[in-house]
Amino acid sequence: MNRTEFLLQMDEILGLKPGTLKGDEKLDELQNWDSTSLVSLIGLAESSNSVEISPEQVVGCSTVADLLRLAGAN
Amino acid sequence: MPSQVPQCLKYPAVAADILRKRHSLKQELLQQSNLLSARIAILGGSTTSEIRSMLEIFLLAHGVRPEFYESGYNRYSEDVLFESPSLWCFKPDIVFIHTTWQNVLEFPELTDGEAQFEERVRREIARFESIWQKIHNDLGALIIQNNFDLPRTRPLGNLEAFQPSGRLNFLLRLNAEFANYARKHSRFLINDILYLSSRLGLDAWYGHTYWYNFHMAVTPTAAVALAQNIAGIVKSVYGKSKKCIVLDLDNTLWGGVIGDDGVHGLLLGRDHAVGEAFLDFQRYIKNLQRRGVILAVCSKNEAENAKEGFSHPDSILKVEDFSVFKANWNPKPDNIREIASELNIGLDSIVFVDDNPAERALVSNQLPEVATPEVGTDVSRFAEILEYERFFETDKIVRDDLNRADYYSANAQRSAHEAQFSNYGEFLKSLEMAAEIGSFVPIYLERITQLINKTNQFNLTTKRYTSAEVEAMSLDSEFITLYGRLTDKFGDNGLVSVLAGRIHDETVEVDLWLMSCRVLNREMELAMFDALIEQCRARGIRAIKGIYIPSKKNGMVANHYESLGFARQADSDESCQAWGYDIPESYLPKTRFISVFTKPQPVPANA
Repeated sequence: MNRTEFLLQMDEILGLKPGTLKGDEKLDELQNWDSTSLVSLIGLAESSNSVEISPEQVVGCSTVADLLRLAGAN
Repeated sequence: MPSQVPQCLKYPAVAADILRKRHSLKQELLQQSNLLSARIAILGGSTTSEIRSMLEIFLLAHGVRPEFYESGYNRYSEDVLFESPSLWCFKPDIVFIHTTWQNVLEFPELTDGEAQFEERVRREIARFESIWQKIHNDLGALIIQNNFDLPRTRPLGNLEAFQPSGRLNFLLRLNAEFANYARKHSRFLINDILYLSSRLGLDAWYGHTYWYNFHMAVTPTAAVALAQNIAGIVKSVYGKSKKCIVLDLDNTLWGGVIGDDGVHGLLLGRDHAVGEAFLDFQRYIKNLQRRGVILAVCSKNEAENAKEGFSHPDSILKVEDFSVFKANWNPKPDNIREIASELNIGLDSIVFVDDNPAERALVSNQLPEVATPEVGTDVSRFAEILEYERFFETDKIVRDDLNRADYYSANAQRSAHEAQFSNYGEFLKSLEMAAEIGSFVPIYLERITQLINKTNQFNLTTKRYTSAEVEAMSLDSEFITLYGRLTDKFGDNGLVSVLAGRIHDETVEVDLWLMSCRVLNREMELAMFDALIEQCRARGIRAIKGIYIPSKKNGMVANHYESLGFARQADSDESCQAWGYDIPESYLPKTRFISVFTKPQPVPANA
């Protein structure tokens, strides 16, 4: 899954209109951002890009761009 | 379920899709009308926000709109034992306790023998029982309690399964104790995560990432499965489970086409791989029927040919197992409408199973209220696909469920008998009906609660009550409560009607009056009214106020109070109509065809 596709999936996870997220947003400032969104994204990364995400990596994420990097979608 | 359940919640649902679409799903499901409300407290031994999110989606899909209370992380015990004010103010209808093996406080030590093992079991169970008892006594809520899943690691290897020091042995013993408690307490239900985790596999059930980062005891995928399972339980508590399964025949209940292949050409039985799968599906259906699910046939066949299929020597199902048998060349949606009409049930109480995708599509398109799962053509998958959507989940099996198939078979005999009469009164007289009517008594409380929560059509207010509320009503002298059982020469219809009202001075306000559709047009409602009048007179009550709250399904009782001689009260609005009736000095019983036996009234505790 590439960056554009991943951002569109993130839009859906957060209940946002397609194309809302650009990639430079801070996670804590996102509308509807909650733990369910986070675990949904981890699941998405793991299932779509076969990326295994360790606990330390998750804790280090503060922006959408960080997540994209983790998910291998940058 | 409502008519338009989003496709992604149906089999084969993918957990990741549901998680991803949860916001849009919620918005879509909130568009439904007539949602029931439920106040659910989730008390977590781990974090529960994902479970809450998913539970909301699945409950909405079942027509239940939940309001949630969520405990803090691992405060499932403290919130109850120390009476968290926010929990007490919330007044939950249901408390779901989400504990897993990580919440066991006291696992056995390696040196433990039998005695220490038993003592640890006793202490752990006592700890949980103190929580459950306080919820029941102080909050009066129904409890849904997880049993225990198993850890992925086994320090003692296979010895874990039987050694007193084995954690697996200990957890399975705790599960047996939980089950024992559930058998003895009607307001306590188990959410079987031992099964769910086995079904998913422990590697998919638990993930280190989720535990160490978020203290989620289950993975997001498992949270979806767990929420779906709890929603199935809640659905059954609120009487939203399906009542009837309508089955095609050829290549659904047996392999082959009866009209072409004949009985002996059918694939059914142990001597053929596919035939064995059909046999097992028949056994599954037979078990559904035994516990009260109504069976009906809807098949494109000549009726005689179709019935002959059940004479196959290996057939587990027999013609008499089906309450309605439609084998003809009419469109299946027409037949299913007739089945619903003959059984007096709503289309939304029906599940239709057919191997033919064109027939499924037709029914799905023309009758969206009917659940038409995509069962495919592989009979070996049919049962698990039906189970996936928890169509027939039940919170308890009461005696009336076990007899339900008999009622509907007797109904078929009544219908045939009715055809012999041109005068309906003569027909009713010939039924030799007898009713037992009395105040709520403990032995019937489960059935009364079940009827209150399942009846939609002949139900004046569609108000739902928990069994604790029903029990409280039965013990309160400010209430008049009545149940009615009806028998006739074809059999016992069971407990079929419930009525209750609160007394205010010399008036009783009836806000609960319902009757099973299996005894419609038998004048049982008149027998109940006569009994109500008798109760009122005995207690010095001079007037009755009847409430009618229209719903999408209870139009058949819109004129109920008017037909009994009530007058509409001017100040009542359309959405909650009030009807008044002054009890005359010389009341003539309205019942003409039912011999009524009134049970002695028990004296309420606070009388």
